[in-house]
Amino acid sequence: MTDHEASGPEPTGPGTSETGASETGASETEAGDAGLALERTSLSWTRTAISFAALGGVMLKDNVITGLLILAVVPLIWRLGRPPRSGSPASGLPTVGAMRIRVITASVVGVALLSLLIAVLGPSVPGALYR
Amino acid sequence: MARPGGGQLSMSRSGRFAAWWPRGSADLEEGREPDPRFTFANERTFLAWSRTALALVVAGLGIVQLLPPFPRVPVGRHLLGVPLIVLGAVLAIVAYGEWVRNQRALRRGDPLPRSVMPWILAATIAGMAIISAIVLLVSALR
Repeated sequence: MTDHEASGPEPTGPGTSETGASETGASETEAGDAGLALERTSLSWTRTAISFAALGGVMLKDNVITGLLILAVVPLIWRLGRPPRSGSPASGLPTVGAMRIRVITASVVGVALLSLLIAVLGPSVPGALYR
Repeated sequence: MARPGGGQLSMSRSGRFAAWWPRGSADLEEGREPDPRFTFANERTFLAWSRTALALVVAGLGIVQLLPPFPRVPVGRHLLGVPLIVLGAVLAIVAYGEWVRNQRALRRGDPLPRSVMPWILAATIAGMAIISAIVLLVSALR
């Protein structure tokens, strides 16, 4: 399930600011929703950073250097996901944050490649779950 | 009735790949700035897929590194774990492509393109379930 599915009213169509709300107070509602969307997105970035931290912690058990590398990415992701510190919610709205999306993609692919190397070449600890 | 994203069915293979990759920074800035809620929702969906990719990588690594070897199937752990790790990498890349396509469609006011990611995930997990069953059956045979 994606986050926006359980997050209250959503717009009715892509690409515009038409929300289906009544004329009265529509802009106020939109500003509030945008603020909540910003909050939800920030929380989503936090969960992603925690996911990286968890993977880094797991990786430390197998390969200390790889684990530390992954843990080093966590503050970067955390920082990328912080909401902009602008005055009003409306002024903090994004244009297109393509760079941070690319950083996450590169991080996940890098982690997957490191994991693949460890899985194929690294020493395993068979039965470690039972110890 | 026209299907959303149906026009892309007639695209060439290279055109389809190009649609998944931004053609420079200006490519994602053309059109109108969409409703910020849609931009945020697109970003959250991308992040959710990224976490799914990370979970697959962790699962694959855990299978290879932590499970005991399967009797009579010495490569069993790698057979199960390595595809999951590869799937994690593929999902992360495809998620980026989907984000680009969705963001471009939002800015242009086009219908949102169909996502291939649920299909990739479902097909791979179904395949992994079949491989798992085979490995377990073979290892259980006397």
